[in-house]
Amino acid sequence: MGRMGRVAVTLGALAVCSIAGARPTIEELKARGFLDDYESNIVHGYHIVMDTPRHAARYAGNKLSCTNCHLQGGTVAGGLPLNVAGLYPRWRSKNGVRNGIGLRIRECFLYSHNAVMPPADAPEVMAVAAYINYLSEGEVIGKPPQGWGVPTLPETGQDANPATGEVVYKRACASCHGAEGGGIGKTPPLWGPESYNAGAGMNNVQKAAGFIWANMPLGQGRTLSHQEALDVAAFLNLQWRPFDPREGRLKKLVERIVHWVSRLGGAKAP
Amino acid sequence: MKAPFWREVLPDLSWRHRADTRREVIAGLVGAVLVIPQAITFAYLVGVPPEYGLYCAVFVAFIASLFGGSALVGGPNTALSILLSLAIMPYAGRGSPLYIEYVLLISLIVGVMQLVLWIMRAATLFRYISPAAIAGIKMGVGVLLITSALEGVFGVSDLNTQFFYERLYVLLSAGNEIINPYSTSISLITLVSALMLKRRYPRAYILIALALGTLLSMLIDLTVGPLRSEVELLGRIHMELLPLHWPNMTREVLLVMQDMLPNAFAIAVLGLAQSLVIARDLKTHVSPHIDMHKEVFAQGISNVAGAFTSGFAGAGSFNRTSVAVEMGARTALSGLVAAVAVMAIAWGLAPLFTHLPMPAVAAVMALVGIGMLQVKEMRFYTSNRMDAVIFAATWFTVAFIGLSAGILVASLGSLLVFVFRVSKLTFDASMHGDQEIIHVQGSLSYASMDELAAYLSLHPRRHTTVDLSSVSYRDATASALLEQLRAQREAQGGGLLIKT
Repeated sequence: MGRMGRVAVTLGALAVCSIAGARPTIEELKARGFLDDYESNIVHGYHIVMDTPRHAARYAGNKLSCTNCHLQGGTVAGGLPLNVAGLYPRWRSKNGVRNGIGLRIRECFLYSHNAVMPPADAPEVMAVAAYINYLSEGEVIGKPPQGWGVPTLPETGQDANPATGEVVYKRACASCHGAEGGGIGKTPPLWGPESYNAGAGMNNVQKAAGFIWANMPLGQGRTLSHQEALDVAAFLNLQWRPFDPREGRLKKLVERIVHWVSRLGGAKAP
Repeated sequence: MKAPFWREVLPDLSWRHRADTRREVIAGLVGAVLVIPQAITFAYLVGVPPEYGLYCAVFVAFIASLFGGSALVGGPNTALSILLSLAIMPYAGRGSPLYIEYVLLISLIVGVMQLVLWIMRAATLFRYISPAAIAGIKMGVGVLLITSALEGVFGVSDLNTQFFYERLYVLLSAGNEIINPYSTSISLITLVSALMLKRRYPRAYILIALALGTLLSMLIDLTVGPLRSEVELLGRIHMELLPLHWPNMTREVLLVMQDMLPNAFAIAVLGLAQSLVIARDLKTHVSPHIDMHKEVFAQGISNVAGAFTSGFAGAGSFNRTSVAVEMGARTALSGLVAAVAVMAIAWGLAPLFTHLPMPAVAAVMALVGIGMLQVKEMRFYTSNRMDAVIFAATWFTVAFIGLSAGILVASLGSLLVFVFRVSKLTFDASMHGDQEIIHVQGSLSYASMDELAAYLSLHPRRHTTVDLSSVSYRDATASALLEQLRAQREAQGGGLLIKT
């Protein structure tokens, strides 16, 4: 690299640093006496991401919060970071249309939060979009940010084996997520009525395996082998979870009512 | 006997002895079922999550009943909801945290203003607001309600227009591109079934219609799926038992609030005007115990308390009060039962509302609007020319210009009626020999003197007696002018005798 090139890189890095430095942290924003509409939306979006059932109760169909998958409020590379505003609108194979950030967020509520789909102008959607914008400051528009999504695991040469996955789950995961996958305390449920539905991205074995390998067990990411991560993902994929809403809602409603009645009766959910 | 101050400020529980508990409780339960769809609709109208409407139907209504002590049903109110959204819209995005903050803060200010009006004994002033003007506001709000329901009915997310004719124009010109057929069919089935069932099931028709709308929405979900149909659903209602909220009163917020003060005043006045018209109605037809000043205090304190319990400003409701009275409510007990029942229903049965389609809710809004356009009332108020003018002027101002302007027209109109009546004199002339006696009725003041002078100049008799024994009031200007007239007559060689 020539001298000029190096100078340019340094300047560029400085520019990035200064932009990043200009961004107030959420705590700083919260400490201010007055937030304008955009800033208050950022803070609201942050709260929704951190505790969805409490701050976006209207569109929280289960116990999951955004931060359960978008780790630490969407700030962890390889843990589905949320600094992706520059990538949208974007065509996605999942629904075959170009998705603005709004539609992308709404689908998260529909699948991962197993809720009704919020309208395009729902305040919750706007707030999360503002928070994503806030996180994306300093990223290059149109370029995937570092650690976008989850790592793609290399071919292991073997098929995923749910039976081995169950063994790995009991050894490495069950202590936090529970033997029945219902979650313990703040750890999210992995299957059952309070978890993501069959239409969620996490229900894709490849994606889930990448997420598990890179981040799980929490704080000890990259300790499982690629094959172990793949097996656990296959095991999770076989467990009962709410229907894919694309299959039809009537089924889903019946399921809801059964679940609700069983909870009223104090019986254990199916 | 307590001092009047305490009698107005403390909750009046003397109704305990005259309440027919069974009828009151039933009326309260029917009221709760009636208010829940309205609370959700009006929250949508204000632009806040549905929970806030329900909190208004619980806390604001409870406190208004507790302190008012009458069968007047408070809580979310159509006209106030429209005014609230218009007041906050310029300062924050609909439904954002800042927007909610402003809504609750303006509700607090409305409550405080109403308390100030209570101290100023405003109930006496509100007596002069013409019922025709209030009916005009009601009709105008009906038109506004129907047109603001159009967005939800056609599934257009945001028309962003100020006047209803703009809205109609946009829908007519770009309809085939923006109208969502699924939303429209859900709304239509709700609306049509409600109109058809209204006669047969006057208490439950809204619920049946909502159930039909929900059924159709589920069928659409089953066949088309939520991604393609884009039908907006209500979502989960998450009620807290005591949603305490401390209004944010930093300097910046208060600076913005300064701009909203005129709107807050309009809301405070309109809220009181509606509540007092209902209270006046109740006083004449149902229970003579009602104390108007006490009702003003109850409205004020309920809105103040609402701001601290996440409820937006409310006022007396025409339709809910009339249903409650029809069901046999005579005291505050029915209102208290309704408020508690709303909380119990919304808290316990929230999962049932999750899949309620918003187009059906919009249809309920249109229904409330249609209910406000009553031909019977129109006939009643157009029988008198003065009333008809005020009624029509208020109605058109509300529908075409806006609610705040409508309130102004209503107050000015009411004032004008009085001015005209005050300046109106009636004359009765009779001859006694060569003397003419003019009998005057009315009130003699600077406003009506011109009329007297003009009448006298038409009767240029040499000897005239002006009989003022039936005049209710005579001010200094009038006395001076009469003196002057007499001097004129005497200078012309005639005589003017003033008999009092």
